[in-house]
Amino acid sequence: MKTVVITGATSGIGFETASLLTEKGYEVIGIGSSAESCSSAEKQLLLRNPSAQVRFYNADLMQLSEVSRIAKVLKEDLEAHCGNLYALINNAGCVRSWYMTTAEGYEQQFSLNFLAAFLLTYELMPMLKKSRGRVIMTGSKSHKGVNVHWDDVMLSKCYNPLLAYKQSKLCDTLFAKGLNDMFAAKGIRAYVVDPGLVKTDIGNRKTGALVNSIWSFRKHFGKAPSEPAKTYAFLCEQQIEPKGFYYHNCRENAYSKVVTSENAARLFKLSERLCGIRYGEVF
Amino acid sequence: MNVFITGASGGLGRALAVECAKRGYNLFLTDVDEDGLSSIKRGLERRFNVTTATCVSDLTSPQSVDEMLAVLDKHRLRLDMLLNIAGLDFEGSFIKREREEVVKIATVNNAATLRITHAILSRRKHGSRFFIVFVSSLASMFPIPLKAAYAASKRFILDFSTSLNQELKPLNASVLTLCPGGLATTPDVVKSIEAQGLWGGLTTNPLELVASRTLDKALKGSCIYIPGLLNRVLSIIGKAIPRQWVAALLYKRWSNAQKQWLNLPETIL
Repeated sequence: MKTVVITGATSGIGFETASLLTEKGYEVIGIGSSAESCSSAEKQLLLRNPSAQVRFYNADLMQLSEVSRIAKVLKEDLEAHCGNLYALINNAGCVRSWYMTTAEGYEQQFSLNFLAAFLLTYELMPMLKKSRGRVIMTGSKSHKGVNVHWDDVMLSKCYNPLLAYKQSKLCDTLFAKGLNDMFAAKGIRAYVVDPGLVKTDIGNRKTGALVNSIWSFRKHFGKAPSEPAKTYAFLCEQQIEPKGFYYHNCRENAYSKVVTSENAARLFKLSERLCGIRYGEVF
Repeated sequence: MNVFITGASGGLGRALAVECAKRGYNLFLTDVDEDGLSSIKRGLERRFNVTTATCVSDLTSPQSVDEMLAVLDKHRLRLDMLLNIAGLDFEGSFIKREREEVVKIATVNNAATLRITHAILSRRKHGSRFFIVFVSSLASMFPIPLKAAYAASKRFILDFSTSLNQELKPLNASVLTLCPGGLATTPDVVKSIEAQGLWGGLTTNPLELVASRTLDKALKGSCIYIPGLLNRVLSIIGKAIPRQWVAALLYKRWSNAQKQWLNLPETIL
């Protein structure tokens, strides 16, 4: 049985992906931000499919210390079961109305949407290597048209919530690019799923009145989260790893011209410093 | 520039620490939260090339403060700036709060602030200008039912710092009082801003701008900084209307807002 770890698996796209993958016979380990949301998601999944192989852990992935803690828990869990990880789906994300920071003083959208994935993937690399695993990032079409603000990546000079979101999704895409540059030859492949506009609550949590109402209006035009879930399942299901990189509706799609190996390497350097790790030392 | 920051692991303290580090200042950070303190130290050192020293301290305890001062003295550390950020509030009406919680508002916001200000002032660097920042609040401008103790504690800070500013002028020191409206520092504060609806949004100031402008204004020698035009207008209106009327008006507003988020735990403002 193949094991998949999904972050942000208690609602929205992550939950539907967990549901679809358990149906297809994968063992799913979900990460959610609270114990309550985890146990309710687990119950719902078992209700849909009583034979589902699924378990949840809760961690506030926005905080790097929590990412390190849960990585240890996951390693122990995986060691006790199959010892390897077939796929890591870095899906947890948030939207903020204001410049808010984590315990390290890092901007929250940057920290959860990108940095948490950067650190968690690093920690789980040895388990991914064993199964020549796949890393799947939840991206967004909105990554196009922006660049990384290299001199102020946390946007602390003048915060723009939408720009912070777009930049975090660009970083996710660059991260996947960099992973392929470094590890594709060793059998680990990274992909980005562009889910499109989806009816989830991402813009309604811990946001102000403006972002909240705009999102409440906008999400009506979105599709059900079970739609993008198919693309994640598609990427997991292929026996031979798909050669593409950026996927939308189970098909390859165009991504930003800014996603270059050079920018990916630059982002790796910056993020390694922010997380206190070195990807080069992973194997 | 050596900067001492209290409440450094909370939202505003963290934002100011980041702003100082960006400007290349050396930092001495303190907070009661040990994990928070080591996290912000780690974050700053990974991002900026600055020296960051930390010391856990409970500013409400004279003994704990003395222990921290001993560390400062041991390293013969002298300071150029003091940012008094530590402060707290508990939501809910006066009588519904725990007795010691209500007392703690004055102990942390006022008594501890006096203690640390006195201690750091006497450890200022001689021969150069010294800067102090106090965090009061827009709440200091009005009597606020349901936030009675908090608003009064912030009024204390406003009056104290305004007077101190005069006292310290001959000593080449200047005092800035920051009076922000809402600042989105914690998820709980965001909830309370949301609960106030449009007003909450309009009186909320961007944390990153408040942090950088606070330092600019302090260095310029300003004595008060009320971020946001609307907040400045509100503070003037507050002075023009009889205080009982303001209290009645605000009671209505806060009781409506608080119905939505009364079960909140401790929020640091």
